[in-house]
Amino acid sequence: MRRYDVCIIGAGPAGLSAAIEAQKLGMKSAVFDENHRPGGQLFKQIHKFFGSKEHMAKIRGFEIGKELLEEAKNVGVDVHLDAVVMGIYEPHRITVREDDSITSYSADSIIVSTGASEKTIPFEGWTLPGVIGAGAAQTMMNLYGVRPGKKILMMGSGNVGLVVGFQLLQAGCEVAALIDAAPRIGGYGVHAAKLARCGIPFYLSHTVVKAEGNGKVEKVTIAEIDKNWEFIPGTEKTFDVDTVCLAVGLTPMSQLLRMAGCKTKYAGGTVPVCDKFGETSIKGLFASGDVSGIEEASSAMIGGKISAVGAAFRCGFINEKEREQKYDEYSLSLFKLRKGLFSKENKGRTDITKTDEGIDLSMTLFKKGYMTEEELKKFVRNSEIKGPHPVIECTQNIPCNPCEDSCSFGCIHVGNEISAVPKFDENKKCRNCKMCVASCPGQAIFIVDNDIGDGYASVSFPYEFCPLPEIGEKGFALGRDGKDLCVAEIIDVTTNKAFDSTAVVTMKVPKEMSMTARFYRKEVPVNE
Amino acid sequence: MSKIIDRSADIGEFVPEKDDDILVCRCEEITKGEIRKAVHMGLYTMTEVKRFLRPTMGLCQGQICGENVRRIIAKELKEPIEALKETTARPPVRPIEMEVFGNEVEKL
Repeated sequence: MRRYDVCIIGAGPAGLSAAIEAQKLGMKSAVFDENHRPGGQLFKQIHKFFGSKEHMAKIRGFEIGKELLEEAKNVGVDVHLDAVVMGIYEPHRITVREDDSITSYSADSIIVSTGASEKTIPFEGWTLPGVIGAGAAQTMMNLYGVRPGKKILMMGSGNVGLVVGFQLLQAGCEVAALIDAAPRIGGYGVHAAKLARCGIPFYLSHTVVKAEGNGKVEKVTIAEIDKNWEFIPGTEKTFDVDTVCLAVGLTPMSQLLRMAGCKTKYAGGTVPVCDKFGETSIKGLFASGDVSGIEEASSAMIGGKISAVGAAFRCGFINEKEREQKYDEYSLSLFKLRKGLFSKENKGRTDITKTDEGIDLSMTLFKKGYMTEEELKKFVRNSEIKGPHPVIECTQNIPCNPCEDSCSFGCIHVGNEISAVPKFDENKKCRNCKMCVASCPGQAIFIVDNDIGDGYASVSFPYEFCPLPEIGEKGFALGRDGKDLCVAEIIDVTTNKAFDSTAVVTMKVPKEMSMTARFYRKEVPVNE
Repeated sequence: MSKIIDRSADIGEFVPEKDDDILVCRCEEITKGEIRKAVHMGLYTMTEVKRFLRPTMGLCQGQICGENVRRIIAKELKEPIEALKETTARPPVRPIEMEVFGNEVEKL
């Protein structure tokens, strides 16, 4: 039997953060992960994260993964990969399969951060090849560079469905539609808006009737459902797709915790009952990350640290005062992330109609993924402002503020409450550096100049597709709904290191389109 | 969290549904209809259904189908899903070859 002060199961964002914190507090720590690569889901996340600087916001998920791994190695954490934890025994002993043998490890504390697995929904034809989880699609695209299919139907409009849907477009797949059984889009409005302006339709209160095909998915039928989840006859729609992606929620992988015998409760899956440090009903057994309740990776990282602090106290590495100090620091950071429209308390609520600031929320954004101009006018004033200036189409209370930090001229204000809706300060002068456009993780900031002469306006927007448009190229300006509006000419394409792979493209459009044109599509030459 | 399921409760007759043919447990190839019928035969817990039909006992060990099986049984019993106790979690949590089990390393 081998010994550590603390054994951590799962090397995802929570596990790695816990290991780093524990090692820093003087504990000899080991992390075990059944995968060949550490980082959990982080290495599949190619988008920029939300939050504030302390939560590593605007950094892409896989970069955060690299940083965590580097830090874990530097502080001296033992990272065991291809190491499958088979069982947990009292007191605090685990058996691990490494290569072709089993090793037992014992520790004074154990932190379980095994994460979650994807839920499924059985429907007619769901066992056909081509029906996959959204996480599987991400693994194929972002880890192995393989397109999961040519034409895809995404089921689920939570952040996973929205983010993976957009990544499928980036990978060059066609996305036929996003559907959800719920009456509202479940994820962030800004994520939905990215898809909507690419022309992807949303079908809310819809679910899959059946998938058909000869040995693989070739055709999928969806239909609208009523309040009792029954199909409404006559609402069927059929799509010729070869892939159905399921993004219908996650189940915590809590087998090890159940095996240990700790108290559990049901919260979308079985989760342990924990105190504020993540300690379960068994002393010295902690849970952090998705296994203790599904949240974002950013909260998992803080949760991991808090568990490590709890474990360090339990094993006598810090005293109670030190524990409380650390806890206060981390919980404040966590508290900031757990606010806003998508917080635990507000999840699934459909009765919220105003932002914290008292502005009417866009209902079209919940239904179709974009805002109407009328709805947007309540958030941004544009017509009289001269010269280039940011138009911030971030209209829901999301805990995120990189835009505020990105502007060195102080044009954008979010404030201490990071879930507040950002505002452009008209008294400050925008220097058109475009940093805000590139740093917004929701790609919701545009730089608009209402008058660049000759009856034209310019619109700068974030662009994360290949190939980039070329200066002088002409195509169509697209509205927030992804429909063709007018001819647009590309007048600038800016890329630089600080933009972190997000290009800012500027197009010239007729003056009256300055507040409607939000995206661009190259004119496809008509084939002979 | 789970309450004792009342075995004298009247859950009615088995009524066929049109999606009874859908496979729920893919590893052991068990359909929704088979699970529902088992409940009407008097198997009111996850453990009983598992021993009788083998759902959640295949390669995925219930990782994919567990929650769906639990929901189907609960619905048939007209109980919320959390009223139904899950199957017991036992080592090994992942499938493992017997040969590997024999190679326990004792290091100090």
